[in-house]
Amino acid sequence: MEIQKTIYSIIIVTAFMALLLLLVNKALTKFDPLSKPKGVVLIVMMAYDFIDGLIKGAVKKKEIADKLVPYFMSVILYIFLSNIAGLFSIECPTSNYSVTLSLALITCVLIEVCSFKVKGGKSYAKGWFEPFAPFVVMNVISKLSTLLSLSLRLFGNILAGGILMSVIYQLFARVSALIPVVGNINIVAIVLAPFLHFYFDLFSGVMQSFLFTNLSVNFIGNEIPNEE
Amino acid sequence: MEKGIIAIAAALCGMAGCVTGIFEGKVAIHAVDAIGKNPDASSKIQSMAIIGAAISETCAIYCLLIAFLLIFVLGA
Repeated sequence: MEIQKTIYSIIIVTAFMALLLLLVNKALTKFDPLSKPKGVVLIVMMAYDFIDGLIKGAVKKKEIADKLVPYFMSVILYIFLSNIAGLFSIECPTSNYSVTLSLALITCVLIEVCSFKVKGGKSYAKGWFEPFAPFVVMNVISKLSTLLSLSLRLFGNILAGGILMSVIYQLFARVSALIPVVGNINIVAIVLAPFLHFYFDLFSGVMQSFLFTNLSVNFIGNEIPNEE
Repeated sequence: MEKGIIAIAAALCGMAGCVTGIFEGKVAIHAVDAIGKNPDASSKIQSMAIIGAAISETCAIYCLLIAFLLIFVLGA
C-alpha cells in the first residue's frame, strides 16, 4: 500500500511543534516572575489569557475549565500549524480526514466525560433518554452529527483551500506562458499568489483553528449547567 | 456519460453553499446589530452567533459530504 503524502507532513508538523514547545519551555523556566514579560514569554502569556478567557466564558465549573486549558492550547497550536503548513509547501495535515476525525473524536469523548463528571452516573444515563425513551435514537444521531460537522468543517475548508491554490497556480502558469521571453518563469504567480496565500492559508487557517476550539469549548460548556 | 451525470449531481450539491452563505451573513448582520444595541453583552452574543452560524453550516457540510461521496464512491 502506498503511503500518503500527508503522513510525512504530520510527522514534520508534530516534530516542529515539539521543538517549538521545548524552546518555549526553556524560555519560560528562565523567566523571572518579577520582571516585565517580553518576547516569547509575553506571546505565551497573551495566548494563555485568550484561551483561558474563552474557556472560562463557556465552561462555568472552574475545576473542569482549568483542566481543559492546556489541552485546548495544544490543539489550537496544532491546528494552526497544520493549516499554515501549505505556506511552507508541504501538504496540510488537516487536509487528511483521519487527522480531523481524530481531533473531533477527542472533542466528542471530552463532551461525554465532562457531562458524566458533572451530572453523575444516574442523571447522565437519563440524559440519553430525554425527553422520553424512544428519543435515544435521536440523541445518538445528534451526537454523531457533532462529530461529523466538527471534523468535516475543518477538513472541507482546508482541503478546498489547498485544491484551489494548486488550480490557481496552474492557471497562473498558463497565463504567464503567454508573455514572451520570460514566459517560462511563472511571473504572474510571483505577483498575485502572496495575496491569495494570505487569504487561503493564513486567514482561513487562523479562522478555522479558532472556530474549532471555540465550538468544542462551547459544546462542552452546553453540557454543564450554570452554577448560579 | 455516466461520469458527467455524477459530476452534475455533485455540482448541484454545491448549490447548498449559496443559501448557506447568504444566511450565515445574516447571522453576522444580526449579531453586529445586537452588539451595537447592547455592547455589554458582546461576549455572549459573539459565542451565540458563532454557534448559530456553525450549526446552520452543518447543512452545507452534509452537502459537501454527499458531493465527496458522489465523486469518490460513485465516480471512481
